Amino acid sequence: MTSDAHAHTLRPAGAAGEVAPEGAARILETGYRSYSGQRLGPRHAVWTLARHTFERIMGLRRPARYKVLPIATFGIAYLPAITFIGITALLPAGRRFDFIPDPGGYFPFVTAALVLFASLAAPEALCPDKRSRFVGIYLASPLTRTTYLLAKAAAVAAAVLLVTFGPPLLLLVGRALQNAGPRGFGAFMATFAQTVVAGVALSVMFTCLSLVIPSLTDRRAFASAGSILLLVGTGAISGILAFGLRLGDGWTLLALNRLPFELVERIFDRRGLPTPSHHPLPTWSVLLTSLVLTVVAGLVTWRQVSRTEVSR
Amino acid sequence: MPAPREAAGRGSSDVVVAEHVTKSWGTTSVLRDVTCAIGHGVTGLLGANGAGKTTLLGMVLGLHRPDGGRLTVLGGDPWSAGPEVRVRLGYAPEYDALPPDVGASDVVRHIAELHGLPRREATGRASDALWEVGLGEERFRPVGTMSTGQRQRVKLAQAIVHDPALVLLDEPTNGLDPAQREDMLELIRHVGHDLGMNVILSSHLLEEVEQVSDAVVILDDGVVVAGGSMDELRGGGEELVVELDGGVDASSELVDRLAAEGVAASATGSTVIIALERPIVMDLVRDVLAEHGYGIRRLQPRVTSLEDVYLGASRTPVETP
Repeated sequence: MTSDAHAHTLRPAGAAGEVAPEGAARILETGYRSYSGQRLGPRHAVWTLARHTFERIMGLRRPARYKVLPIATFGIAYLPAITFIGITALLPAGRRFDFIPDPGGYFPFVTAALVLFASLAAPEALCPDKRSRFVGIYLASPLTRTTYLLAKAAAVAAAVLLVTFGPPLLLLVGRALQNAGPRGFGAFMATFAQTVVAGVALSVMFTCLSLVIPSLTDRRAFASAGSILLLVGTGAISGILAFGLRLGDGWTLLALNRLPFELVERIFDRRGLPTPSHHPLPTWSVLLTSLVLTVVAGLVTWRQVSRTEVSR
Repeated sequence: MPAPREAAGRGSSDVVVAEHVTKSWGTTSVLRDVTCAIGHGVTGLLGANGAGKTTLLGMVLGLHRPDGGRLTVLGGDPWSAGPEVRVRLGYAPEYDALPPDVGASDVVRHIAELHGLPRREATGRASDALWEVGLGEERFRPVGTMSTGQRQRVKLAQAIVHDPALVLLDEPTNGLDPAQREDMLELIRHVGHDLGMNVILSSHLLEEVEQVSDAVVILDDGVVVAGGSMDELRGGGEELVVELDGGVDASSELVDRLAAEGVAASATGSTVIIALERPIVMDLVRDVLAEHGYGIRRLQPRVTSLEDVYLGASRTPVETP
């Protein structure tokens, strides 16, 4: 169909100087009608809830005050990467400063942003539904308790991924464009793969750990404070036990704000974070502890959500 | 008037079928051997608070597994095929369950999308549904700024936005003043009769169930004590109340004499209640009264109300507004 023919078909009779044939006019009934269009099925419900939750976490479609925190967090996470790229660009060719990290060394710069953002994003995902009891309407939709939690976790993980994956990727690409990154396509792709794996691993771990406290309460403020306390408090206790009392390097594994980054060190084939004995922790212990804590956190959250009462 | 939706899949004429369904919470038995069939149109689920209505609705939604018996909703098992069944259900809970900081239109659109409607259609239908419940001008207001009556309407809008085959309304008039309650009942009647959706209206208020329902299931302490269409429950409906001058003896004597003529009657004190099952009953009663010279204080036709049915079947009193 030509564009002219198309326009002609869509144009209402009588428009643009035409005269409508007699009897062609009709009154279209407006208002509620039965629906016979496309229905996308239960899977669409999971996607819809994940997208809705992601938008809510990011403050999208909400007043400006809800956007402040995500923007501030991204500022903290991305600003060092942008600064490093800028410094790299301004340096004379052939001169590099050692303090400019590669993607594997960038993760400590996002620690504060990550802990803060995960501790605020997870409560935003779970608590309002429980407090307003809207979770009852969700569970009366095609969602189940499991798919409800999966959608919520996916939304939190996607939001956290913007902090864990975005800045190191930006740094990697920025350095590569300045000819200061990994040399050769193979090396670039290897670092890119490490960045992806590290970003996803951090995102999954922080999502699972940060959802535990919000699954126990319907108060956002309590949940955020509790999550920060859990992540930072375990770090402090583990520091006292491992570095202060010298009870052994293994106690550093209990620091929930440190363990995910210990895992990242392994993904990037680095030596590992400092320990009291100056010997790196065995990789298997880091992997096993990360896996166990992530699974336990996920199971606790799932158990709490599966016990949500809707009607009785 | 649109025809009520058929129960998809099986060609069944009933939208909900419960067969010997039982459910307990811990040691408390909530539903006991519940057997009923809920057909098309508006069906009232009537019972006092704690009778098991909300638990039954939860089971229809597939949120609770029956301890025993079988439940079929729209031709499917709501427990094992929950998402597939729930995609064709709409639900408005008894309690206030809407996020206060979100606009009504956004809430309703979101629910439409959850039930499988593409975003564009969901947006249009959210607007239509809110207009339909009388909130067209208010649809962008955050739910938290709305009155109780408006929030109840938003709950109704989100329950119908995706054009479900069955709408479950749990105490939809809770917290409403009499005028708002009338409006809400009119909306429910409109949804069930004009929009052609099947509706289950759970309520502890006799009058509102009687006002809008085509059929009723009466629950009492977890047991179905009566069920059927309003006409069936009323048993044809009309009765004749005769209050005699001669006290208890005269009334029992009249009952016996009417029984001899094949007319069913019952006596309470000096009052005799006669079922007007056949047109000739009125003539027979007149003849018996005249022949034996009974003194009459009151002679009055009466339509059997749902309250009569309920009181006859149940031990627990329900409320009238």
